[in-house]
Amino acid sequence: MNRRDSSRSLVVLALLAFEPRALAAAEDSFTFYHARALVKTYCLECHQGKSAPAKLDLARFSTEATIAGQPKIWNRVMARVRDGEMPPQGKPAPAAKERQSFASWIDRTLRSAACADGISPGPAPLRRLNRSQYAATIRDLLNIHFNAGHALPADGAGGEGFDNAAETLFLSPLHAEKYLDAARQALDYGAKDPRSRARFLVGEPDATTEPDQAARKVLEAFLPRAFRRPAKPEEVERYLGLFRSAQARAETFDGSILFALQAVLVSPNFLFRVEEPNLEAGPRRLGGYELATRLSYFLWGSMPDQPLVDLAAQDKLGQPEILSEQIVRMLKDPRALEFAEQFVEQWLNTRELGRDIKPDPKLFPEYYDAEVQSAIRYEPILFFQEILAQNHSLLNLLDSKFTILTNKLGRHYGLQLIGLRQQPARADLPEGSHRGGLLGMTAVLAVSSYPHRTSPVLRGKWVLEAILGTPPPPPPPNVPELNEEHAAAPKTLRDRLLEHRRNPVCASCHNRIDPIGFGLQNFDVLGRWRTEDARQPIDSKGELPDGTMFEGPEQLKAVLLARKGLFIRNLTTKMLGYALGRGLTMEDHCTVDRIVDQLDMGDYRAHTLIREMVLSVPFRYLAGTSAGLPVEKREAPR
Amino acid sequence: MTKSGLPISRRTVLRGAGAALGLPWLEAMAPRPALAASTEARLPVRMAVLYMPNGVHPEMWTPQGEGRDFPLSPTLEPLGDLKNELLVLTNLWNQGSKGGEGHYVKIAGFLTCTTVTKTMGVDIHCNGISMDQVAAQGVGKQTPLPSLELAIAPVSTGVDKNVGYTRVYGGHIAWNGPTPLAREINPRLVFERLFRSSRPQADSAKQDKLLLDRVLEDARQLRKRLGASDRRRVDEYLSVVRSLEQRMERAGRPEQASWKPRQPIDPETQPPGIPTGHTEHVRLMLDMIALAFRTDTTRIATFMFGNEVSNQNFSFLEGVKGGHHNISHHERKEDMMRQYQLINRWHIEQYAYLLGKLRQSQEGDGSVLDNSMVLFGAGIRDGNRHDPHNLPILLAGRGGGRLAAGQHLAYSPDTPLANLYVSMLEAFGTPVDRFADSTGRLPGVLG
Repeated sequence: MNRRDSSRSLVVLALLAFEPRALAAAEDSFTFYHARALVKTYCLECHQGKSAPAKLDLARFSTEATIAGQPKIWNRVMARVRDGEMPPQGKPAPAAKERQSFASWIDRTLRSAACADGISPGPAPLRRLNRSQYAATIRDLLNIHFNAGHALPADGAGGEGFDNAAETLFLSPLHAEKYLDAARQALDYGAKDPRSRARFLVGEPDATTEPDQAARKVLEAFLPRAFRRPAKPEEVERYLGLFRSAQARAETFDGSILFALQAVLVSPNFLFRVEEPNLEAGPRRLGGYELATRLSYFLWGSMPDQPLVDLAAQDKLGQPEILSEQIVRMLKDPRALEFAEQFVEQWLNTRELGRDIKPDPKLFPEYYDAEVQSAIRYEPILFFQEILAQNHSLLNLLDSKFTILTNKLGRHYGLQLIGLRQQPARADLPEGSHRGGLLGMTAVLAVSSYPHRTSPVLRGKWVLEAILGTPPPPPPPNVPELNEEHAAAPKTLRDRLLEHRRNPVCASCHNRIDPIGFGLQNFDVLGRWRTEDARQPIDSKGELPDGTMFEGPEQLKAVLLARKGLFIRNLTTKMLGYALGRGLTMEDHCTVDRIVDQLDMGDYRAHTLIREMVLSVPFRYLAGTSAGLPVEKREAPR
Repeated sequence: MTKSGLPISRRTVLRGAGAALGLPWLEAMAPRPALAASTEARLPVRMAVLYMPNGVHPEMWTPQGEGRDFPLSPTLEPLGDLKNELLVLTNLWNQGSKGGEGHYVKIAGFLTCTTVTKTMGVDIHCNGISMDQVAAQGVGKQTPLPSLELAIAPVSTGVDKNVGYTRVYGGHIAWNGPTPLAREINPRLVFERLFRSSRPQADSAKQDKLLLDRVLEDARQLRKRLGASDRRRVDEYLSVVRSLEQRMERAGRPEQASWKPRQPIDPETQPPGIPTGHTEHVRLMLDMIALAFRTDTTRIATFMFGNEVSNQNFSFLEGVKGGHHNISHHERKEDMMRQYQLINRWHIEQYAYLLGKLRQSQEGDGSVLDNSMVLFGAGIRDGNRHDPHNLPILLAGRGGGRLAAGQHLAYSPDTPLANLYVSMLEAFGTPVDRFADSTGRLPGVLG
């Protein structure tokens, strides 16, 4: 790549990252003919004919329609070209700019083809309760305050990056053993607590009630709650069989009924969220119980409560206005904390703080105060929950006039605020606090730092990924990742990073990564304000590839607010992946587009986001056997 | 080779000849037909794998000199008094993990020698069974637990959008199907599990079996209603519940199990939960492997020092400042390489700790280490380059006399790592004709 080329590609990359509108203008000039020419120049040498590698004969695709008709193949082509995996090393390859234009063209082509026919629901895979859902569900089912999931293995993430994604919720033999133990422990614990007993042991034998009758009563109440749907009489009968077998070996009533209930809690009907498969060709609306379940696991990470179940039983929950009411109720419920915690910590990656990413205890002992640590961890979570509950604008996440503080966290930030307590609470920020929005929070600033020092590269990358949803591509092969550590030469970090950016290959991405990070250099590893580092004054100036200049976090936040479109789209994409518990498909991005439009019109209110998500086709419908068939227009929610 | 394994070598016998000639396990020296009948009398062979993320300082790893007479390299120095129990294996590579990206493909395929499917989750697949699980399929039924999967960090949060992989790949080396085996990170929970499994209660096992029958029936009914892709999940459920049920069955009939605990687990030795110090945590987990092996609660264990790309802070080591992954990108800067080597060396110290523990446990006329093979390795060589050539691989213990320990064996470049696994499986008594890209046994490993 010569200098000229690379500088031009920088401009395009910059546009890609920051200006969707300008991007569209630049890209409109890339058409099918350009794509075909690129394929001919770089791909057809190998990918032609019957013996083409990966059985991929690209010569077959002679029109735009043939490409749009094979989204699976072309998504793969797009990813491999975009990530620099194709053409293979040593073969002539398009410049970075052309790669990007080609990839965006494929994406645009496939997407507009997918959205043209209306929206189809996409897959609805069987979802196992993950570890936190398991714990919350047992808590609500038995009314116990005991983490029944503590011994379960942690779940990995898939799809949009959440551990509720069906695809990565696999089972291994360890799970079976742990589920058996966890159920036993939770039930034993519950049976000893009168409040909890009253919740699930609703029948007990006495002078007028035979043990068998009492057990039936318990199971008839318990099974529908555990399975999140009405139980069939034969199901009650089968679990009653377990109770009787325990009675037959002279177990006590408690011992016998707990034995049967333990089986309920190990049953796949409890551990999986089962939806009745749709055997019709076209999509079907979810039944009331299914919708109640999706809704409660989305907003509470737990089972539906009685009001939801009642609405489901009356077949009213599907009505948009009732759904909207329920959403507002649910977001104000304390159980919404579970949603905020699960969503925010995985979206922002702050869950890794204290796990893989730990501030150095020798350099940052302040972090190891339990109260400080907890306040740091919960600040973004409770902040998000507050935005949801109060229906604030989602742009508060970029910048806000309030945050959630405890007295110790306020002191940590150097804020002179009165009235802060040990318990976290909303606090209005004074002028010049440097706080407000996620970028002023220690959790975010620490998770994007090294244990012993800050890194403009890590913070820049974090903003591109978590806020703007435009993660930089991986470093090209054989280019070692940038290392910012001190070398022998006594240069500043900024000098070293600038030197690194002289290499055009590195510059193509680091020109958009590093400046953002420099804008946050006034925050130390623990997010405290500083004006110098190692006796050098902090230089927090940054210049984006498109020429935008800024200095310090306040101006950086203004720059990000000017790009709110990218942020809102990213947040919507992430949340839809979380709401659906799976990776998004091409068609789901049509849903994202619609929701983003509604948010643009609705002042970015939090409730708009949640409501549109719940009312969306993929959330309320199940695909039929002909996956990809759209929901008929008359049935579509709006 | 028969399932009963190789006869133990003459050298082992000679080494222990002083005291133990009358022991029944010496029947292993008998011709093969007799051997099969006496399997239970022989001391079992154990296999552990310790996985280290982020590679090694390439120049400080490989010892100078080959064969039996070689000085240990600076990184391997902590193995000083274990040198005779050690095989240093040079120039092995893992072809399956060549492409893809720098980390996830390397770790997930470390014991499978396959190329995992690139995915954010939908089609997660390792495309092979890991070597330890092949062994577990062979002998797992002879112990209360077929195998033990341990780690230090929970599986990492999220997916890696930069490279297009779910981080599930970066957190697992043991695979017995398309999806991995979950692992445990809390030493206290591991202890409780070992303790409980080692003391089967016939009564409760019988009831548990009744309960599992009930839920298996639920699963079968559910399966009938579902579409093909969801059936796969229910099949997974059926298979894990059945495997538990079978374990209960075996536990319910202790007299029929070949397993006899040599030493009961003392409940007083229960460790605490996860300690704050990294070294303490690692050692407690390694203690659990030693305990499981000593008591024959399982014969197979895998352990991950960290998830791949781990940025574990190693500042607790004198002279180190920073996170593991960051330092592994040393860019050949002297100071960074020095720190990198110190981190590598710390890992070797922990390896030596486990080997020492196994050696302290008397068994027959030798030690548990004599009857173990403990693999130590990483999925890349130099963290700065992410390449799967000339991987850092050690194997320690004598595998019941089947391993020719005490050597540095250097092969021709790019000898398949899978060949080592073929040899290990043979020594373990669960031989295979082929493993992934293997081309045969690894010469010199078996005694």
